[in-house]
Amino acid sequence: MRRAPLVLAFTAIATIPAIVIAVSFGSENIPVGTVYQVLLDFVFKQVNDITSPEFKIIIRLRLPRILAAFFIGGGLSIIGVAMQALIRNPLADPYILGISSGASAGASLFFLGFIPPFVAVWLSVPLAAFSGALLSITIVYLVARTSEGLSVSRLLLAGVAMAALMGSITSFITYLSPDPNQLRDILFWLLGSLARNTWGTLPLVATTSLLGFITLLLLSPHLDVLLLGEEPAAGLGVRVELIKKTLIVLSALVTGILVANSGAIGFIGLIIPHVARSIIGINHRFVVPLSYAGGGIFLIVADLIARTLLTGEDLPVGIVTAIAGVPFFLLLLRRTQYKFS
Amino acid sequence: MPLILRAGSIFPWIPCILLLVSLVQGCAADRPRPDESGRQTVVDDLGRSVSVRLPVRRVVTLAPSVTEILYAAGGLSTLVGVSTADDYPPSVTSLPTFSALPVNFEAIVALQPDLVLATTQVNNPRDAKVLDELEVPIFFLRTQSLNDVLRNVRTVGMLVGTEKIAFHTADSLGRIIERLRNATDTLSSRPRVLVLLSEEKLFSFGIGSYIHDLIDLAGGKSITAQIERDAPILSEEFILVQRPDVILGTFPEHVGVAEILSFHPEWSGIPAIISGSVFAIPPDILLRPGPRNIEGSLKILAVLHPDIAETLRLTD
Repeated sequence: MRRAPLVLAFTAIATIPAIVIAVSFGSENIPVGTVYQVLLDFVFKQVNDITSPEFKIIIRLRLPRILAAFFIGGGLSIIGVAMQALIRNPLADPYILGISSGASAGASLFFLGFIPPFVAVWLSVPLAAFSGALLSITIVYLVARTSEGLSVSRLLLAGVAMAALMGSITSFITYLSPDPNQLRDILFWLLGSLARNTWGTLPLVATTSLLGFITLLLLSPHLDVLLLGEEPAAGLGVRVELIKKTLIVLSALVTGILVANSGAIGFIGLIIPHVARSIIGINHRFVVPLSYAGGGIFLIVADLIARTLLTGEDLPVGIVTAIAGVPFFLLLLRRTQYKFS
Repeated sequence: MPLILRAGSIFPWIPCILLLVSLVQGCAADRPRPDESGRQTVVDDLGRSVSVRLPVRRVVTLAPSVTEILYAAGGLSTLVGVSTADDYPPSVTSLPTFSALPVNFEAIVALQPDLVLATTQVNNPRDAKVLDELEVPIFFLRTQSLNDVLRNVRTVGMLVGTEKIAFHTADSLGRIIERLRNATDTLSSRPRVLVLLSEEKLFSFGIGSYIHDLIDLAGGKSITAQIERDAPILSEEFILVQRPDVILGTFPEHVGVAEILSFHPEWSGIPAIISGSVFAIPPDILLRPGPRNIEGSLKILAVLHPDIAETLRLTD
């Protein structure tokens, strides 16, 4: 597709205005002029005025949160692409296949003190989430495997079942915990929120997300071949088993770390790759980057809505991604003559 | 203290003391302190080291109970913002408000506090990390007993530079508690009390809650004091087996035996229902761990042992 590079460039550039717009709004009304002044001073003059509340709000609160939204949205979106290539079906998503809820269960198990901290805390929560995610997707995958390959209906049913199981494990252990904020914590893990993102949490999120992006970009020719089917792919010299295992571990890793940071934000991996393919075709060389940038922008906007919809209150962003995303997805599914492979 | 007691009912006591506090708090506000220059490290009830410039001039509270502690400590003049749930003392309603659950960090930063006061009862320690990165010091208070309330009043007084008032208030409150304890200590029969948060769902208080202190002080025995979880949701069976003599709850005022029975018809045989001992207690004086808890304890005393409450009123 010849317009693909154009679309890609456009989406990548659109990230900048998305960030700038998102930074301009929040629970505190700061005049747009002040916002840009603070932003420009920070970017070009490295002004670091911690005594000014506007600086703290824009640079220390909003900016890291919005950047995190971009990396998390992009990461979850391309993991959707990876899962869809793995099972050769457009209905896959880290949320639907139970990876996100597995990660939630792992992270909340750790947070509530059911797993002892064997490494540094900042590392062990993501590690617990990764383990939960890997366990969950492995079980789903094993259940769905038949002698003729993966059964899609089994996969989806096993995914739904694992998501429910992991969700109830999260609820159960949160409920058991002495934390008086139990119900809010359950909401955090099950619906996701970007509220606690700071510059301190950003490096891990950004690194993970970019790692997933680059790996999938490198794998994109193999992903294209994988869509033909496992046997034809193997016939073309693709090491199918290795690719499949890489995709599973990568999905668990990226989803696990992103969920450990922000809870299980759903549907991005389902909606964004669909939209990307309907615009740009099925070539993964384009689908991966477009999904990444698109997912990032989508979550920035969803988080903006979550931050500003109720005055002074932060909604769990997962509510917004589901409410905004699912009807859109249904419409899309109904309208377009959609071909996956 | 006998002087005030003679003036009439014991109930207006706490507001009296708090009023006194607000009258005198101007006096101590500008008292110089030896360690005024530079920042100091204080350790909060979560064991976190908090670096602040003492005494603190601009305080934001993340829960109504903390506001009430600050008030009792004589530090109300340092308060620059409160959560949307705050309403006591009434003057705080004119301050800027923000949502505390979940925390609206932007609004807090905009208030430019020197210190944020929080409570482990409702605030999430994870919020501290975000405020740490914003270089906004946050100090957590924990309340598991009435003694903790007094300790918190003194601590907050030290933070905002009003120790004198704070220690005086804490001592006065301590003396009321002592008097109350002396009056109920020797009781041979203590009614078994169930405390509920609502008439329908059986939310209650487990081990490590200050609520049991209040019941104990009022001459009762809380039947949930040994439950292993902080905030248990009781089963109907638990209540049928425990057979409480009295049911207290932060119910709407009209709630009595009939309303309880309409939600829990199986309870018709338990002593509290048979004797009609179902009482609504105003939520704020029970649920906010602070000086007004003593008022709550007195209200409970009036219900459990009206005779003692009466004697306390008349003696001295």
